[in-house]
Amino acid sequence: MRFLQLFAPLALILPAACGESRSGAVLAYYETYDPRSLDPALSTDVPTGEMATLVYDGLTQFDANGNLLPGLSDRWTAERDGRRYVFHLRPGVKFHDGRPFRAEDVRQSFLRVLSPATRGGRAWPLFPIAGAQAFAGGTAPEVAGIDVLGDTAVAFELVEPLAVFPRFLAMPVASIVPTPAPPDLAEHPVGTGPWRLVAWLHDDYLLFAKHPAYWGTAPAADTLSVRIIPEPLTQAAEFEAGRLSVVEIPFSETRKWEAEHPEWLQRKPALRITYVALNNRRGPLRDPRVRQAINHAVNVPEILRTIWGSRGIRARGAIPPTLPGGDTTRAAYDYDPTAAKRLLAAAGYPNGLALRLWRTGTNVALGRVCQAIQADLEKVGIRVEIVVRDASSQREAARKGVADMAILDWWADYPDGDNFLYPLFHSASFGPGGNYAFYSDPVTDSLILTARRTLDDATRTAQYREIDERVFRAAPWLYLWFPVDLWAKHPSVEGWEIPVIFTGQRWTGAQRAP
Amino acid sequence: MLGRRLLLTLPTLAGVLVVAFLLLNVVPGDPVSEMVGERADSATIARLRAELHLDDPLPVQFGHYVWGVVRGDLGRSYITGRPIAQDLAERFPKTLELALAAMTLAALCGITLGVLAAVGPGGAFDRLAMLVSYLGVSFPVYWVGLLLILLFAVALQWLPPSGSGGLAYLVLPALTLGMRSIAFLARMTRGAMIDVLRSDFIRTARAKGLSEAAVVGRHAFRNALIPVITVLGLDVGNYLTGSLLTETIFSWPGVGRYVLTAISKRDLPAIQGSILFMSVVFVLVNLLTDLLYAKADPRIAYD
Repeated sequence: MRFLQLFAPLALILPAACGESRSGAVLAYYETYDPRSLDPALSTDVPTGEMATLVYDGLTQFDANGNLLPGLSDRWTAERDGRRYVFHLRPGVKFHDGRPFRAEDVRQSFLRVLSPATRGGRAWPLFPIAGAQAFAGGTAPEVAGIDVLGDTAVAFELVEPLAVFPRFLAMPVASIVPTPAPPDLAEHPVGTGPWRLVAWLHDDYLLFAKHPAYWGTAPAADTLSVRIIPEPLTQAAEFEAGRLSVVEIPFSETRKWEAEHPEWLQRKPALRITYVALNNRRGPLRDPRVRQAINHAVNVPEILRTIWGSRGIRARGAIPPTLPGGDTTRAAYDYDPTAAKRLLAAAGYPNGLALRLWRTGTNVALGRVCQAIQADLEKVGIRVEIVVRDASSQREAARKGVADMAILDWWADYPDGDNFLYPLFHSASFGPGGNYAFYSDPVTDSLILTARRTLDDATRTAQYREIDERVFRAAPWLYLWFPVDLWAKHPSVEGWEIPVIFTGQRWTGAQRAP
Repeated sequence: MLGRRLLLTLPTLAGVLVVAFLLLNVVPGDPVSEMVGERADSATIARLRAELHLDDPLPVQFGHYVWGVVRGDLGRSYITGRPIAQDLAERFPKTLELALAAMTLAALCGITLGVLAAVGPGGAFDRLAMLVSYLGVSFPVYWVGLLLILLFAVALQWLPPSGSGGLAYLVLPALTLGMRSIAFLARMTRGAMIDVLRSDFIRTARAKGLSEAAVVGRHAFRNALIPVITVLGLDVGNYLTGSLLTETIFSWPGVGRYVLTAISKRDLPAIQGSILFMSVVFVLVNLLTDLLYAKADPRIAYD
């Protein structure tokens, strides 16, 4: 205690800075790195998407549980079996600068995202619109498929029927900006969303104020600050010091928080899957029996329990169980080293084989998972060398197909089974598109396309389940688990829940208790 | 003389440009891959590569870059689209603030500890000072930073855990960053002071009847300054180019974190621009250190 007293004079001089934010009128959130931009056309990552969601609206939007809600369009209809969509626009909406929202803004916003000059890089949610891809490639002067119907509606003609198209339009890249778009939109965004940007000090913080004329339920709080805090342990310290409203608990800290502050914790299954992509076009992994053997050889439930702190639901397919089409009853690959050895012998590897497993250096928890997988595979004669690289190098290797195996996770862009099938398993999505396993099966391809075209939800759900089952049996991955998110919420904060999708939390209901 | 020394720095900087450019081009990872995010189509990737001239031959790319630098244009970030010079100009003052605070702290504490230890070598204070400096050199910055946060921000709640703002925000990061310098300077000063205090002119000074304070403060200290300035100069150079670890732990919006983000995103122009900027700063600080030698010791002169 004497030691602490030495510093007592400091306490008299310095508490001002701590005191002001602790008094608690503001909501404080954080990102791990600075958003790319606040131009929604550049929204290709989570921090940028989350911040764009605060400032802008799309025609549709998601809530924290991933339900599709009306946005700037208050109702929409699918025509011609889902080949054409008509979105009726919400009347009386105003941008932050007072300009009224018009139908032409929708067309101009989408043209802007698609325009090669924007260099957005993530225009694919708009590619289903007829003519969009040609326009983006610079070979067409117009997008024929966008049809402005007077002041009250916009119609989209699609290349082919697409049941999930309204969900595509809830993604940040499809946000509506005013026409003409301000030249400095990236730094000084103007949207119709619940929050308007007040200040942005790069790498330090963003400050938002409530948009009082918001068309929906205006935010309960007046301001929202978003700090940029890269280090997870610092994030936790900021939360414990009362300077953040919520904090995500790192997997390695699960037990500590569960023991010390169970009353602060919230959990929710995420729309995310953790898996090991097995390169289906490379060496022994071309043989499905080898891939099935790997699934039998690794004791996934044990790894999930011991290393992952039981913060996950075992994957028996790629579609999360909280989405229609997800299946928790499907027969999993049992932990069965004997069966694994038998399969390896049948595939022509009675003496085992050697593979390389790529992981990122930053994700320590997944690193431990890799070691456990390595140990389990060793027991059936598969010698695994773990290759540690930074995220960018790992992704490049996986995309180019030079990695045997890569441990990865896949975050949903839109809450629908299609998001866990088309990008991950369709052969048109090889490499950068998301199919890092290079899984290719003409039957699966055609089933996926059929499901995308099916408007009826029940039929589509059944199709999703069938596709997921078919792919699961072919074992393009080592299936691991669907993580369960764990967050701590400050007891003084009300009206916030964990979003299942990163665009699902707009901070409108959140406030500090009086 | 100054002009000539400045001219001599140009080949150094040119070398830095070449090495940085070549290194970045052999490192795996693809900037366009980072620009398009997790789900992309090959057509978009190919178009972006072409627009950024990433498929041009290396000498052509290098020529473009050098031509820009010569005109004072560091280019724009691939990821954010912002001018890199502006990004650096926004962040450098924060790095400077932290560096100066750390340096002041290090100079005050380190030199004082060193001098006091040297006055009574082997005494209780000496042993304490050397213990402090051992610990300071041996503890990893990362660990000390987190420990300081836990103690002063979480347990005692006297200081904010991280971020930037007023003086309160500066204390913990400056202490973390300056810790190694404090330790190193204390050892350096102690060693140099003990050497000087043993020399003949000090005995003469004492024999003339000068007070001990005058002997130590005026005669011995000034003569012990040269190695101390060297260490300070090198450290300032390091601090001014941003401290990756300290800035990351304390969410400090400086140059170090900018580079770290740029590297993780393979933001080539941002990395190149930052390396060049850091090199300029480092070279200038070294130049300044050389000039300070001459101030401290009139026997050193440059012509």
